[in-house]
Amino acid sequence: MSAQEYDVVVVGAGVAGAVLAKHLTDGGLRVLILEAGPASAQSLSGYTQHLQTFYEARSKGPESAWPADPNAPQPDTADLRYNNGYFVQNGPQLYGSSYSRVQGGSTLHWLGVSLRMLPEDFELRSLYGVGRDWPLRYDDLEPFYRKAERDLGVSANVSDQQYHGLTFPDGYDYPMERVPLSYSDQWLSDATDGLEVSIGERAIPVHIRSYPAARNSIPRPSYQPTGALDRSDEGRTRQPFLGERCQGNTSCTPICPVQAKYNAGRTLAQIEPRKMELRARAVASEIDVDSVTGAVRGIRYKQYDGSTHTVQEAKARRYVIAAHAVENAKLMLASGLEGTNKLVGCNLMDHPTLYAWGLAPKPIGPFRGPLSTAGIEDFRSGSFRAGHAAFRFDVGNDGWKAPTGSPDSTVLDEVMHHGRFGRSLRQQLESTLSRQVRLSLAVEQLPEESNRVRLDQRFLDPLGNPRPAIDYRIHEYSLAGMAEAARVARAIFDHAGIEDHTDPEKASWFPSVQYRDRTFHYHGMGHFAGTHLMGDDAATSVVDHQQRSWEHKNLYLIGSGSFPSMGTSNPTLTIAALAIRTAEHLVSELTSE
Amino acid sequence: MAATDIQTIDCLKDYLYRAMQLEHATIPAYLSAMYSIHPQTNSDAYHILRVVVVEEMLHLTIAANLMNAVGGKPDLTRADFVPEFPTYLPDGEKDFQVSLQCFSPSALDTFLKIERPGLAPDANTRRIPRRSRGTAKLAACPEDEELEFYSIGDFYQEIERGFEHLYRVHGAALFSGDPKRQITSEYYYSGGGELRPVVCMESARAAIGLITGQGEGDGGGIYDAERELAHFYRFEQLKLGKYYEPGDVPHDPKGPPCQVDWTAVYPTYTNPRLEKFDASSELYEYARDFNRDYAEFLALVTEAFNGKPQLLLDAVPKMFRLRNGAMQLMRNPLPASKASADSAAAGQPDGPANAAPTFEVAEFAR
Repeated sequence: MSAQEYDVVVVGAGVAGAVLAKHLTDGGLRVLILEAGPASAQSLSGYTQHLQTFYEARSKGPESAWPADPNAPQPDTADLRYNNGYFVQNGPQLYGSSYSRVQGGSTLHWLGVSLRMLPEDFELRSLYGVGRDWPLRYDDLEPFYRKAERDLGVSANVSDQQYHGLTFPDGYDYPMERVPLSYSDQWLSDATDGLEVSIGERAIPVHIRSYPAARNSIPRPSYQPTGALDRSDEGRTRQPFLGERCQGNTSCTPICPVQAKYNAGRTLAQIEPRKMELRARAVASEIDVDSVTGAVRGIRYKQYDGSTHTVQEAKARRYVIAAHAVENAKLMLASGLEGTNKLVGCNLMDHPTLYAWGLAPKPIGPFRGPLSTAGIEDFRSGSFRAGHAAFRFDVGNDGWKAPTGSPDSTVLDEVMHHGRFGRSLRQQLESTLSRQVRLSLAVEQLPEESNRVRLDQRFLDPLGNPRPAIDYRIHEYSLAGMAEAARVARAIFDHAGIEDHTDPEKASWFPSVQYRDRTFHYHGMGHFAGTHLMGDDAATSVVDHQQRSWEHKNLYLIGSGSFPSMGTSNPTLTIAALAIRTAEHLVSELTSE
Repeated sequence: MAATDIQTIDCLKDYLYRAMQLEHATIPAYLSAMYSIHPQTNSDAYHILRVVVVEEMLHLTIAANLMNAVGGKPDLTRADFVPEFPTYLPDGEKDFQVSLQCFSPSALDTFLKIERPGLAPDANTRRIPRRSRGTAKLAACPEDEELEFYSIGDFYQEIERGFEHLYRVHGAALFSGDPKRQITSEYYYSGGGELRPVVCMESARAAIGLITGQGEGDGGGIYDAERELAHFYRFEQLKLGKYYEPGDVPHDPKGPPCQVDWTAVYPTYTNPRLEKFDASSELYEYARDFNRDYAEFLALVTEAFNGKPQLLLDAVPKMFRLRNGAMQLMRNPLPASKASADSAAAGQPDGPANAAPTFEVAEFAR
């Protein structure tokens, strides 16, 4: 394919870019994808190397299987403590999340939670007077959610998911049956039976509920699960028949050993090779815009190989930036395209998250199965959202691994602080490790213009591209939500007879934030959103409901950066649904031109 | 259709038991090679072995479906179900030994023989006198154990003829089994072939065709009917160092390189037996535990094949247990005292050998 032949240039081969490209090429368009990172996970042997990297890593953080190429640096949560990582953190709080710049993107190390957003999440301002409304409603996105659930391969039962106004058409069910609940989920469900916790005036019953997961399970009729796909450099795809079902390896994050969990590489491998060209190690560095018309003329990118690189320009009929919420903003700002309303980079959000952990009164079998299989969705909806954030819980299957680094840290504690060894140590570990319970309390965050991505020209990466600087504050709305979430967690522990061991002093290091007389230790959920939010009005938003830039008509900014608010859902499914919607719009527009 | 010796449904059930025995017999050999590969190395070889062994398990399950279809009772716990290794398989003119051994050039040659395409040159040579005296009578004729089939392909052809003949005699009544006993894709999956219930002649033909096609290819090509590379050609890629691609002809793959590192392998003792282990050692305990786990696993699968297909989901963690047990053994050297007397025996790796699972389940048979 020569340059003139592309219909669309896509920047970024993560879930947004991959799903978009799949639907563009299925619609007959020709696509060039530029990926900043290496294509090291596209072949099975390459993926196996990443697995080995994870096994050999001393610290098993979300990035441990996915080291950055120096030419495409990325944030790493291990750098937060000394604030010496890729982000220039201007505070006052630390932005606690990370992402990966590699072909396949952060889906290579996501957990796979594939919740739809609630209908009310699209109308936050109208219903509760906070945040912003979307230019779309749930019903607009519902058909695209179904397509995304098929593309990603989501396992769930509709009968579990009809809550808080979520609707599904008659006869629809997810492509695969729900991933079975773990024993500890079932125990906790029994142990919290009948529990209600009041939020304001309202008593809310607590349910332990299976959540939709993009992990392969038992397929429903007419669906064939896709596991690992082995794509050669020449674009040929082999199927190693691996990962067609989740095996419960308990390392979804940072890497599913068998690729039973969806990653965007799977979608890329299914794209017709004659319709797509993918250039890895190609960092987009500038959007070349005609200063008179505002139209994009091309994307300049740096194609690197070790310590050398060349600058090239990619041209097509349309341009789609799908590089991640932060990288999208970075590229726009580096190109001088902050917008007349200066909103590019603003309204950065996350789900700041607390842990609660304790010991169950009996062994509940942690450290097996997927990292989590159930959540608590009851506190995602309600009129309380006028006053403080909504929140949702993940129920862990991995003991205290996430908050404290157990089992290693538990062994260390018993040996060093309790002087145990031999039989006594083994007995104590059997008794302790088998009862460890963990909840994650993920709290909604509203769009605030002052939470933003800027460029700091003092700090350049090896290719000369500026590093992102982040201004970030967790506001009262979220902090009050954290306090309520912590109170609900305590009520659950009390009711279930779980001995509360939540103690940040004895946990791994996490960033902290003050709220009234207390200190919350939080971490990021990796749920970046809001840097180029969509709206009805060019004066107050960056893109329209098709994710098309208001100011540059042949330019689209896609991904969670387009979210005007994010509710409490993990963003990936919504990113994919929006990408499919934008792809269908582009196919229809470009095939009729 | 040529004449068949399968004149009764009971005789067909005997054949189908032999088919299950035959499909199972290769699994310990493939697993012994696969698990001997150092973790995270030899990605090409590991995944080729893995696909083949998963499909052998599929074939075993299809054979059980055929058995259930005609009202038989699959039984993987019979004393003769697991062969003693080395065991013998027919391969045309000669038969050959299948050993439990680590991944090596000689193991690969054996695997190629197992999966080699071939049928007898004429009807008279389809059954020939048994050539070697293994304990198990794999591919022997149930009605005369002094005879065996020329090749595995001939053995399955006989089964298909038996089905056709009995279908002409009994009609749909041949398929008297309870369809609820059929194992379907929700309980057993292997991307290589969808597991469909056997409830009629058409589905029986398709099931037999899937077993033979996946092993040897369809009609002389390198692919089976589902456009999947047949086992023989999968293994040949390791031998020839290149992957096959669509359009390639047999024995001349033109795809990307397929790499093997023969050194990234635990050098396990070939055809290990429990008697080679020091009975007072921990290694002995682990080897015996493995055999017990394997016997229990076969018992669980038998239960699943007899009307409780959902038990196959419970079998998954038990397979991980078997893997972990096998790899624990393979990481440990077998002390020389007991093993060295036989170290000169053919087929042993040079130098000290590691332990390995022995697959001797008789002790734990129900």
